[in-house]
Amino acid sequence: MKYILMMNTMRAGAGVPTWPQADLQAHIAFMRGLNRDLKESGELVSAEGLSFPDQAHLVRAGKDGAPATDGVFPESKEFLAGFWIVDVDTPERAYAIAAGVSAAPGPGGKPLNMPIEVRPVMSAPPPEML
Amino acid sequence: MKYILMMSGTQTSVSGYQTWLQNDRDTHMQALGAVVKGLVETGEFVAAQPLAEPKEAKVVRGEKNGLPVTDGIFPESKEFLLGFWIVDVATPERACAIAAQISAAPGPGGIPTNMPIEVRQFLESRTSPK
Repeated sequence: MKYILMMNTMRAGAGVPTWPQADLQAHIAFMRGLNRDLKESGELVSAEGLSFPDQAHLVRAGKDGAPATDGVFPESKEFLAGFWIVDVDTPERAYAIAAGVSAAPGPGGKPLNMPIEVRPVMSAPPPEML
Repeated sequence: MKYILMMSGTQTSVSGYQTWLQNDRDTHMQALGAVVKGLVETGEFVAAQPLAEPKEAKVVRGEKNGLPVTDGIFPESKEFLLGFWIVDVATPERACAIAAQISAAPGPGGIPTNMPIEVRQFLESRTSPK
């Protein structure tokens, strides 16, 4: 069963963290190690980081179908910072991996304990979407 | 350059969609299917994935002992990712044009939903583990 693990950030504070270099390196090394473990266990489907919210656009089709873009979001909007898609045997395993992501070290090496949203993804897109 | 196009909505909007006439839902899905077909033909398609309903979402944090703590209670206004498309395109404008096509997918009575699609670029420095 496939799950997506989503790391969200608020717009405030989004961007390259102003942490000491060593803390930032420890954080990145932790994430790389986690990805490596998931790859070795065969559970990693994909992992991506997204560009920062200041580069996000909201697009709607205008009357003529042409894109109408907007970059103004409510203050309270949560932005996706990155995601992992994992293929696991049980929901509990997906939660355990999410807890591992949540425990990534922040400033001073303390676990961030950030919330990770976990959602089942449909096993295959409906045939009409292919 | 890779972009993710995200369709979001609340549990209320998902419940609303479920009350559409079957014919309207079929037409909607066929339009989205045609977008994907077009992307496959141009070689811009990377992935598309619908997610299970928001009511199946959990938020996970790692606690002191590293064990997962899960919670599934969200504010009514919370926007959830409903599905996404990953495209590999030559320009940001092209990513926005594809988002507009998705936005123009017909809703009830064949009227375009014009729903907002969030367009975000992947971090260039990160490479997806294959």
